[in-house]
Amino acid sequence: MKRGLLIGVGTLGGLGAVFAITPPQFGTSEPSGLSALPGRATSSSTPVAEASKAATEPTKSASAPTKAATKPTKSAAAPAQSAPAASTGVTGTFDGDTSQTRWGPVQVRIVVKDGKIVAASALQSPNGDRRSADISRQAIPYLVQETLAAQSDQISGVGGASYTSNGWYSSLQSALKKAGL
Amino acid sequence: MSTQTVGKRSGADWASIIVGLGLGLTIAMFVETTTQADWNSVYAVVTSISRIAALVGSYLALVGLVLVSRISWVEKSVGHDRLVIWHRKLGPYSLYLITAHVLFVILGYAGVDQVPLAVELWRMILRFPWMLPAVIAFIFFAMAGITSYKKARAKMSYETWWTIHLYTYLAIALSFMHQILTGPMFLSHPLNKAYWEFLYLYVAAIIIVWRLIIPTGRSLRHNLKIEKIVNEGPGVTSIIMKGRKLNKLGAQGGQFFGWRFMQKGQWWISHPYSLSAAPTDEYMRVTVKELGDHSKMVKNLKKGTRVFFEGPYGTFVAAKASKGHIVLVGGGVGITPLRALLEEFDESKSIDILFRASKEEDLVLRKELDKLADARGARVHYLVGSRKVHTMDAKYISKFVPAFADSDVYVCGPTPLVEAVREACKDAGIPKNRFHDEAFEFHSV
Repeated sequence: MKRGLLIGVGTLGGLGAVFAITPPQFGTSEPSGLSALPGRATSSSTPVAEASKAATEPTKSASAPTKAATKPTKSAAAPAQSAPAASTGVTGTFDGDTSQTRWGPVQVRIVVKDGKIVAASALQSPNGDRRSADISRQAIPYLVQETLAAQSDQISGVGGASYTSNGWYSSLQSALKKAGL
Repeated sequence: MSTQTVGKRSGADWASIIVGLGLGLTIAMFVETTTQADWNSVYAVVTSISRIAALVGSYLALVGLVLVSRISWVEKSVGHDRLVIWHRKLGPYSLYLITAHVLFVILGYAGVDQVPLAVELWRMILRFPWMLPAVIAFIFFAMAGITSYKKARAKMSYETWWTIHLYTYLAIALSFMHQILTGPMFLSHPLNKAYWEFLYLYVAAIIIVWRLIIPTGRSLRHNLKIEKIVNEGPGVTSIIMKGRKLNKLGAQGGQFFGWRFMQKGQWWISHPYSLSAAPTDEYMRVTVKELGDHSKMVKNLKKGTRVFFEGPYGTFVAAKASKGHIVLVGGGVGITPLRALLEEFDESKSIDILFRASKEEDLVLRKELDKLADARGARVHYLVGSRKVHTMDAKYISKFVPAFADSDVYVCGPTPLVEAVREACKDAGIPKNRFHDEAFEFHSV
């Protein structure tokens, strides 16, 4: 009886210590890992609104990769002119590790030219059920866009597709690591 | 005595606080990573409950492993018997929680996908990494739990139970990867992941050190080998082992070891046998009846076979007695630890031995017993015949031992005998701390 009390006190102590350092964030609709990412965009609207926004603007997001892909040729040329020795930038296609999420695997492929990410795509995304497939189909263009804009793993993720975003984030990280970026 | 008790208590108290602290951290991992999305629908709630059940269940499973990991200072301060009791009490909770996790997580996912449970289980196995090993792990874990249930355990040999129980190590290891790779509390939270990995590695290290390296080292150092095999009666065999500096083990009559005879077909399994004579610096002896599969093979043991051991264990020792009068009750081959115990009491104690057996020839070690009893003036009462004749209730025992109610009682034998004597003690008003039992079929080493 007394020992049970001690275990209870210990449990509360452990919980209290953690919460004192980092208070739990019940308010956000995304796992704290992602919301804690630097470069987090403005507070996300409700998941539904975000998802429908993604659905209404597919053309814009679809065109994003091509637009971005044209950019690097210019920018990549610039350092090559100024310092030939600095053209150590890697070139190639890199596949991130598959990241498993609640709704299925996410695997990111990035195409790198002279150290710049020129394209990104999802080799795998959650499609086990219709809802997941719909959500990831809408979210991936945004994630591609964010990745190309950030040129790093500092992406903000897509509200309403937190699992896919998280999966994208970790797969992207490993792809960047493989690319040495 | 009093300082020792205080030491014991505070050690267990500190351990309780540490166990509680770990439990708090484990629950905190979940709370820190939970979001509104985990609670905004019925199925999300079911899934969240399954996760917390999994975390707490796994944590308790690890605590259960540590409890029986034979850390010597813990064994000394808490006592092996109490640790095993806690392990047994904790085990079911761990199994219930992990079962709840499996059921709830399938239910939660199936609810979202709107498919039957079996289909969802199959999908999960296909969709998530390490999910098949996790399912296998659950089956192993459940089997160990079911076979440890009292009624199931009584129906199987020690060897079968032990082998199945051994698979819990595999189960805990197999389930680890699916936690780390799919658990939302780990995926996005490196600190949680680090804590959880540390916990598992720490427990693994404890087990490797205390259950593998240290027993092996001691076995080699004391160089224990079979010296002689003696036939003691129908199906009863004594194994006499010779080693060096055995006094350093600090073993006493009444205690037991886990023995592992390093010969073909035997080395892989460890057996709990009580010492059947007080140990000397050179010799130890156990006396074994053909009970399990292994006991039958005992006769095939060869002289010179190396013996690996873990122990000594058990608090079935002379020092536990507080009264001047001692009653030793043995059933069949259960007399063996009592025979060893008999040598450990000092001359001031008045001793009665009740030795019950179904047949005359089952009165093993009779000659030794008579000789020892003669030498120190103890009384041996041989009770041969059916359980119905020798009821072993308070009234019956008092016939042989008038001072029964004012004694320390030691009993070793089959469970019905132990239970009968426990009842008798209760009826005679003997408090729990003067009743000492060793139900030999339930040793776990």
